[in-house]
Amino acid sequence: MKFGQEYQQALANEDFPKEWRESAIEYKHLKKCIKKVHKELQSLGLHPDTLRRMSEWVGDSQPEHQDSKDYYSATAPTLSSVPEEFAPQLRVLVDGKTGMPLDATLAPETKSALQKLAKHEMMSAGRRDYLRIPQPPSNHAVRRSSVVSVLTEDIAEEPEDARWVQLPLASAKNFYDMLEPSVQELEVLREAETAKLEEDILDLGDAVENVVQPVREGMEATRKMNYRDLYFWREMFRLYTEKPIFYSGTEARRGAFTFTEAKSRLQAYDTKLREIGLLDQMKTPQARLAAQQFLDLNVKILRIMHFQEMNARAMTKILKKFDKRTHLEGNVFLKDIGTKHPALLTNSGKQGQLQSPGGFANSIARDLNAEIASKVLAIVPQPDDWDCPVCYSMAWKPVSLGCCKSVYCIRCIIKLQDEGMKRCPVCNQETVMKADGRNINFEAMEFLQKYFPMETRKRQKENEKAALVREHGEAFVKPGCAIQ
Amino acid sequence: MTAPLPKRIIKETERLQTEPVPGISAQPHDDNARYFDVTVQGPDGSCYEGGVFNLELFLPDDYPMTPPRIRFLTRIYHPNIDRLGRICLDVLKNNWSPALQIRTILLSIQALLGAPNPEDPLNEAVAKQWKDNQAEAIKNAREWTKLYAQPKE
Ligand SMILES: [Zn+2]
Ligand SMILES: [Zn+2]
Repeated sequence: MKFGQEYQQALANEDFPKEWRESAIEYKHLKKCIKKVHKELQSLGLHPDTLRRMSEWVGDSQPEHQDSKDYYSATAPTLSSVPEEFAPQLRVLVDGKTGMPLDATLAPETKSALQKLAKHEMMSAGRRDYLRIPQPPSNHAVRRSSVVSVLTEDIAEEPEDARWVQLPLASAKNFYDMLEPSVQELEVLREAETAKLEEDILDLGDAVENVVQPVREGMEATRKMNYRDLYFWREMFRLYTEKPIFYSGTEARRGAFTFTEAKSRLQAYDTKLREIGLLDQMKTPQARLAAQQFLDLNVKILRIMHFQEMNARAMTKILKKFDKRTHLEGNVFLKDIGTKHPALLTNSGKQGQLQSPGGFANSIARDLNAEIASKVLAIVPQPDDWDCPVCYSMAWKPVSLGCCKSVYCIRCIIKLQDEGMKRCPVCNQETVMKADGRNINFEAMEFLQKYFPMETRKRQKENEKAALVREHGEAFVKPGCAIQ
Repeated sequence: MTAPLPKRIIKETERLQTEPVPGISAQPHDDNARYFDVTVQGPDGSCYEGGVFNLELFLPDDYPMTPPRIRFLTRIYHPNIDRLGRICLDVLKNNWSPALQIRTILLSIQALLGAPNPEDPLNEAVAKQWKDNQAEAIKNAREWTKLYAQPKE
């Protein structure tokens, strides 16, 4: 199936909201526009073949023109872009006196057409802009009123007197005028949907907070039940972090997943949850409800990613088609669009290039992934977050050395002292030997007891055993505070 | 009877498999979980580019109070690595901290390949060559990499 058809069908069948579909890239219309560009170029005597040959000629720079290389490379028939108001133009270098195009490979009829245009422009006096820098123009006003504007290069001393002829391409402008607002709308949609989903994430955060809240004063009766749910949620979130759905933050791969990848990852996650029957085991109806809310949120994110990715593909395809049909460089459009909508290029490798065709889907995946992590997942701390940096077991009892934020387990600090290792393993300051009972981090202790009742009990037993083993040596008991 | 493997070693090994470092691999032996076969790719843009170097890594009993023991098995022309493959690297000696890991050590070794330091030599002959005629030294390193460190098909 052709992409155009595939795209229209997906748009119609995927049950996207009406307002989304209204923001979609108008692939069909853009395709018609390209036809018009093609026609317009032909009417100017610029057949695709001619344009292609011109590009090629400029491509392999000619040795005898080395000293004026910049100047020649600027003769490439490219669309030039103006930051404020983008208008595609064709630029051709012509001889300053005769108006003859200097590009020898132009077809004769093209040459005469350009010559006429240039002469016409020269006669309409007072219109002389100076192109002092031989770089592609970046700050020239576009005068769409005149058919042709001539930019004269002030190079009287140069061997060749030359000037630029700019041909505004009305049809290419139409193409751009149709494409750009669509991208604009997609960006608005991205912002609106991201904001909505962020609200959902906050609500979900509240719901999760309610169901996993460690026992509060006077609520001891429901203690057991809540603890069970806390551990279910922890497992649910651990699995979620272990194989993230939308965005990977590992060294090997950093970036958003594609819609297809994300979809199969979400399916795998859902299957896994069913296998272990986590949702069914949850004790309170509120907990089950919140779990369903969590899964629904993921489905919603997936859907907007799908829509945005489809649109990004449509855009990439249509620009390729533009290049192929007109031999004008459509990536000038992309550059311009990319500057206006930086979120479009979130996953891109090189600047101004779409690496994966995710478009706005990539930034949605990245932003919401971070949002879920900080507003929802963070509510249920994972034991790994509380690993002692030395033994990788839970930092129980927690000791802080005061030099940095690291929290160690008491056993490792005793061991470091026994070994005479004076420096804090993380920040390297000499704080280890000074540590005593006053370095117990009571705040962390309370937190760990609340959120990890089973783990802390187990660690406590291990510690007691280790202390007995060590009994033969000196005791880690300083005056005023018994630790073990 | 051997003591059970500390949780730390289990976790480090797991993470090395699930989140490998690009250009580095470390595989524990089946019969000795403290002994690892390591490969490090020569960093791009260095004179070891294209080479794959084999190393052995051993975690002593008192790890992480003492650093891992590690050496190159593949021959390498480098001022900070001697003929026996021993490596002169501060984090493997005085600057070791129990908060460092196998992962960070291997990254330091990869970085050392990218930035040889002839001022702190372990291999005097190579270091001298590096100081007297760097172009020649780099050429040698490239040749050795071609000769000894070609990835096995
Ligand atoms: Zn510890
Ligand atoms: Zn510290």
